[in-house]
Parts: sequence; structure tokens; C-alpha cells
Amino acid sequence: MKEDGFSPMLHANIERMKLLMGYSSDFIVRELILPGNKKTVIFYLDGMVDKKELQDSVISALLDRTPVEPITLQELKDHVLDAGDVCIIHTVEAALEQIFSGSLFIMQDGIVDGLSVALPGWNDRAITESKTQSVVRGPQDSFTETLRTNTTLVRRRVKDTRIRLISLKVGKMTKTDVAIMYMDGLADEKQLQKLISRLRACQQDRVLEGEYLEEILHEKKQSTIFPTIYNTDRPDTIAAGIMEGKVALFVDGTPFVMLTPALFVDFIQSAEDYYQRPIYSNLIRILRYVALMICLLAPSVYIALTTFHQDMLPTQLLLSLAAQREGVPLPAFIEAFLMEVTFEILREAGIRMPRTIGQAVSIVGTIVIGQAAVEASIVSAAMVIIVSITAISSFVIPSYAMSFPIRIIRFLFMALSASFGVYGLTIGIIVLVVHLCHLHSFGIAYMSPSAPFNASDQNDAIFRNPFWKSTQGQTKQGKSS
Amino acid sequence: MKSMKRLCIVISILLTITMFLTGCWNRRELNTISVVLAMGIDWVDGQYQLSVQVSDPSQMSTNRSVSQRSPAIVFSERAPSIFEALRKITTKASRRMYLSHMRLVVISEKIAERGIRSPLDFLFRDHEVRPDFYMAIAKDCDAKDILSFVTPMEVLPALDLYKSLKVSETAWAPTAAVNVVDMMQWVTKDGIEPVLTGITLIGNRDKGKKMDNVNQPASMAEYKYTGIGVLLDDRIVGWLNESDSKGYSYITGKVHSTVGHIPCPGSPKDYFVAEVYKSQVKIKPFIRNGKPIIRVEMKNEDNVGEYHCQGDLGDEKFFNQLQQAARQQQKQLLQRSISHVQQKYGADIFGFGEAFHQKYPRQWRTWKKNWPEIFKNDLKVEIVVTSKINRTGKLMNPIHKEP
Repeated sequence: MKEDGFSPMLHANIERMKLLMGYSSDFIVRELILPGNKKTVIFYLDGMVDKKELQDSVISALLDRTPVEPITLQELKDHVLDAGDVCIIHTVEAALEQIFSGSLFIMQDGIVDGLSVALPGWNDRAITESKTQSVVRGPQDSFTETLRTNTTLVRRRVKDTRIRLISLKVGKMTKTDVAIMYMDGLADEKQLQKLISRLRACQQDRVLEGEYLEEILHEKKQSTIFPTIYNTDRPDTIAAGIMEGKVALFVDGTPFVMLTPALFVDFIQSAEDYYQRPIYSNLIRILRYVALMICLLAPSVYIALTTFHQDMLPTQLLLSLAAQREGVPLPAFIEAFLMEVTFEILREAGIRMPRTIGQAVSIVGTIVIGQAAVEASIVSAAMVIIVSITAISSFVIPSYAMSFPIRIIRFLFMALSASFGVYGLTIGIIVLVVHLCHLHSFGIAYMSPSAPFNASDQNDAIFRNPFWKSTQGQTKQGKSS
Repeated sequence: MKSMKRLCIVISILLTITMFLTGCWNRRELNTISVVLAMGIDWVDGQYQLSVQVSDPSQMSTNRSVSQRSPAIVFSERAPSIFEALRKITTKASRRMYLSHMRLVVISEKIAERGIRSPLDFLFRDHEVRPDFYMAIAKDCDAKDILSFVTPMEVLPALDLYKSLKVSETAWAPTAAVNVVDMMQWVTKDGIEPVLTGITLIGNRDKGKKMDNVNQPASMAEYKYTGIGVLLDDRIVGWLNESDSKGYSYITGKVHSTVGHIPCPGSPKDYFVAEVYKSQVKIKPFIRNGKPIIRVEMKNEDNVGEYHCQGDLGDEKFFNQLQQAARQQQKQLLQRSISHVQQKYGADIFGFGEAFHQKYPRQWRTWKKNWPEIFKNDLKVEIVVTSKINRTGKLMNPIHKEP
């Protein structure tokens, strides 16, 4: 029924539109009598269109026209309307879609087609600093919730005709605009087609955030807790990714843009690595890998050493640890587990709670964990140190998406070393490495360019070469397994 | 899902495998073990008396007020074997004895006379014992006395004893920090005999066991490492005096740094002190006329540490004389040390036999059986010392009024 065209009777059309919209209060039907006694009606959603533009370039233009002889829709579009994006609409379906994306829909009596005028006028959030991946030196802008703003932020950075943008609408209810941006000739055509066809096949009702799509884009065959799609709110990272032959996926309504394929190293690298001298960023990267290891292994190594391999500790350290553990009623594993869970609770609370009470939570958190627990001999001081260094290290991982798997695996490793000592931990690490090497993201091995090793791709794998030494733009692509 | 399934299978297989490795299954919390820091072995009434010194963790922690309890606890128990005695201690202590961090084993002289091989078998054999502890012989006192003694510097006596032995070996030389790996090699190899450093208590022994011992600047009783004990096979046969001990340390290349006084050239009443800061020794075995000859080449680098001679240090001729005197002195030291050991004990603690073994394996086979005899009677030793005095410190000549 919605696929139908319009009827020549204007009042029938009005009635039909109103009925379809369920007489919603924000659905405005503005009736005009144009010079020449031509009945005209404008449909729009209140709040979705720019009122001032509506007044100036549509209503005034229609009413103030001096030649009074009736004209066709084509003429109206070409000569009268003062707006940029105007097109002729034939079906009710298309008309509604336009109205939902912030357009006016104009109909005249006796004509079965209508005109849509795009005058989106809702309120946008301004472009602000990146909240999740801030840098000291480097561009400070970040994506917003509006798709067009986001694609523009990237386009502005890469002035190349090879940039392609494909738009889709996904979600049966939300009809969310999705844009795929890539560099023609650099992106893997096969994977791109796969991506598009998966998006087209998407049967979901709603797409409110990128994650709704990320889940359908994941390889069905491989189940992993590691992210295989990168997301960021930094336009410079996306621009760099596109120039490396990756494919960016913009979803309207979210300031996070996804990038595929994503490799393990991408989650460990920060945009700022490229905005500082190579020697600085390489040292920082070493630090980051060390922090990653601490975050993953510190509690489990501590448990293994203190409950299985006391002989591996220096005597003085052992005596000092033993002194601290004196009077602690719980086994080291339970102690570590309790502390880690407490920290995860604090961390979650810190993210969810209103900003104003953050201070209170952090004070209670530090006093409860740091002071009282040690003084009451419920946990040992060494354990507080281990948990704190683990917690701080987990914030060094630049990508929030990567910190989840690391935190989960940390708990698994703790259990392994509590039951099997360093032996169990070693087995755990071996299984982890095997698993990581087994993964791939959109046809590219997850651990590349380290495994499989590719000497020519080492420019920016673990260490970054100076720009004059590396051919940026050719890296990290064409490594299909 | 398939890979997940496979992963699950792999993990479960690996975890199942670990079940068979029960050797690793020794989980113990830190507060269920007693860290044994030192062990003493005495021979009392035909039984071993094993003493262990463990730390009291609650006294080690810094956030507890210092109470009257001692930071170290000594348990001791008698049994026909060491292992039995060790396990028997659990009838007196609430925690299992944990031996990996043992720093020092003190053996009483009585046991050293009976032979140390059999009491040490347990320490060589047990998997938990790390082979990096030092060994010493309690001279003129029981091993238990040394363990139950309150030391001034470190809170834990065992660590004090351990560190003192380590430092004295590097900075003073006439002690031998012998760890159990050395001992195992010495006991098993032909042509080299073991040594062990001696430790004794001086002062009022009974007061030394009370906390009062360290309540005043000068302790009422002190421990002291004294000289090097010579063992033939695994039995102690005698003690070297201080200068012979030093000679031993030189020849075995253990001197990192030491000091010694040397008579002045021309006026033997005065002396100067040389600080040896580098010492290299080469032992070269020869056979001349079917007789074994050992050539000990020592190259020392010295500084003048103290100077009380009349001569002018700035005078090159005199300086050479000083150098010559130092060489002479060091040569004598080595010579005396070797001849004392040869004549008195006939125990080849320097490892000369081992040198022959390596260079003349065929000849060695004929000597092997009666090497102690050959060492005692036939072995000639040549000593070449090339010492150099390099620096004189911040002064040239001693400070005195201008004439």
C-alpha cells in the first residue's frame, strides 16, 4: 500500500499522509494557496527542518512569485525553490523517508508527484575533543553523531579522487544511514563486496550504534573475545587507515567509526605515535607493550611465585612478602581475585556514575582498598601494589576495545597459575598465542606482520620507522592470508 | 564455533596432562611455610642434632610494633639421619620447613672429623634445596650455638652470617665462601681436596644468645670467621692460619681484593701496606725427570694503601724497590702456604692434581692412586710473582713538617 503513488486529489493525499503518521503532533501539514489559486501543501516533521530556511527559501519563494500562470513541478524545482537539494518524489514510501531525514515534502493539487526539499535543521553536537583517545600533540577534533559531519572530517584530510563513499540504509525501523569509505585500488575489492553484501542482508530492526553492525560483520566461523574490527572517534586515525587500504564504516548517530581489517598491533598503537619523533614514540611503544604484559600477567605471576615457586624469589623479597602475608586469612588467589573484582567494580562505577560524585567514589575506593584492607590484614600490602600496577597498566592500552579481552584473560590466567603454578601460566600463554595467530580479520592474519612474519611490513609493526624511511600508505595491506 | 570447540578440546587435553605431573603439585601459601635460613648439624650422643633457624615473619613486618619476640627462631631435634630430624622438627613447629632459601649450613667440627659426606647427602639429594648456600665449620663451639646467637647488624642472624662471609671473602680474602656445588665437585674429583671456612664465637657465649647482646654498641659476644679448614677427602685434618689462608685464596684465584703489609726495602722494621685490587693466577703443571712440577704465576695489581717507609715515593728507583719488596712478600706468602699444606696435611686443596689430570691424563692415571703421597713428598713448586704498584692514593709522601 505504501509502495503506491499519490492520488491526484490533494486532500486525499493529506489525509493519507496524516493517517500514515498516526496524526502525530510533530507532523506538520502546512497548507498554502499559491498565486494563481493553486492549492499547495508542505509536510515536514517539526524540529527536523530548519524553520528559518523553510520560511525564507520555500514559503516566501512560493508565495512571492510574480508571474501567476501555473507551472510544472520541474519548473518549480528549477526556478522557484531556493534550496540546494530538491528532487521529485513519486511514491509515498520515498516521501516518508525524506520527511524522516529532515526534508520538506511539497505537493500541489492535481499533481501525482511531489517535491522533497532537504532542509535538515536539527541540533548537532559540536565537534569536540576526542574523549576516548586523547593526544597531547596532534589534531584535537573528533567525530560527532552526524554522519555527514563525520565523512567530511575524513574527506577534508585526504584530498584524493580515489576516495569512494557508498551509502546504505540499514535497520528496518531506524533506517540508519551507513556510509562505507575506502580508497579505490587500495582496498581489497573482495572483502569490500563481502562487507557490503553483509550490510545489505542485515535484517535487524534497529541500528543505534556501530556495535549493532559490528556483530553481523564478525566472521561467523571464528569465535574470539578479541576485537577484529577497530573503532575510534579520531578522524585522523580513520584517514590514515583508509590510506593504508582499510575500509571505514560510518554509522549515523554514533561518533565511533569502524575500521576493517583490524590487526592486533592497531589496538596497541596510538595516533600520537605518528605525531612525535620516532625515538620517543618507539620508547613509548615499548612501555606500552610492557604495560600490556603487566596488565595481563602481574597478578598471575605473583600468585604462581608466592604459592608454588617461592624458590624463585630472592631471599630478602621472600621474607618481606612472607611478613606481609602474615595474618592474611585468605589464599593468595582468593586475595588477588577479591582485589581485582573490587577494582573492576570501582572502574565500572567510575564510568557509569554522574560526574559530580566521582570524587566521593574515588576517595572511598582508595581508602577502602588501599588503607583499610591492608590494615585489617584482609589483603597484603604487596597484593595492593600488584593490583594497582595492573589497574594502571590497563589504562595504558590505547584502545578501550582491547582492554576488555586482556582483563578477562587476566582472570583466566590467575586461575591457571593458582592451580598449576608457572606451568599452568605457560600453558595459558601458549594457548593464547596459538589462538591469536589463528585469528584473522577480513582476510588478514590478526597477528601480522609478526605472524606470519613479513619483513617488508615491519615499518610500523612494533617500532615505527621515520617517515622518510618508510613508504607510508603501502603498509599493512596486501597481506591476505 | 568449530574453532572454539577445538580450543576447548586443546585446553582440556593440556589441563589433563598436568594431572600427571604431580611433581609440580606443591601449592603452599606463604603463611604455611617456615623459611629456613640456616641449618646447623651437630653430633650428640651418637645422633645427628639438626638445628634450623627460621624467620618469624610477624617480627619482620614493618607495620607491627617491635615486641619482645625474637625475629629468628631456632628449632632443633635429634635423629639418626638428617631428613628424619628435619621432619621430626614439625612436632615442635607449626609450619613445614622450607629449605630453598637456606643460606648457610654450619657443621660442627666433630662431624667434620667423622666425615661430611654422609650428613650432606640429604642436602645434595633433596629437590627443594637450592645448591647455592654456603658452608662453614663451627670451630670450638656447637653449630647450634652459632644459630642461636643474636647478631648486631642484620635482624636475622643467618643473613648476617651469610653476608659477612661473602664480604670478607671479597674484601679480606683469608676466608673461603664455599657453596655446596664447589663441595660436591671437590669431594668427587681426584686431585683436589675440599676446604671449609671456620666460624667461631668469641666473648660471652651465653649472653650472646640473649637479645641483650645487641642492646649496646659493643656486643657482648661476636662470631668470627677464622681461617680455612683443610679436608682430606671429607674429613677435616687441620686449620690454616691467616696468612696461609690468604695464600690459599691467592692460588685458587679467589682474591678480589685484599690488603697486606710489606717490610720496607732497606729498613725491615718499617712497613707499607699494599692494597691488591686485581689478582690473576695461572697454574702450569710440568713434568721434569718424571717428577711433577707446578709453576704458579701470579700477576697482581696493587695500590699503596699506607706508607711508613723513609724513602721517597716519587723516586723511581725506590719505587721499583718497593715493587720488588711487594713481589718478594707475596711470593713468600704463597711459598709458605703451599709448603705448610704439603708438609702438615698432604691434602691437595689447591687442585694441582687436577691441573696434571687435565694436561697429562696418561701420567695422571699412574699418580692418581697415591697422589696425596706424591703431593706431600715429590711435588716441586715454582712461584713467579709479577706484581705492579700502580697508584699511591691521594698522597705521595706521608704528611710531615717541612725539614
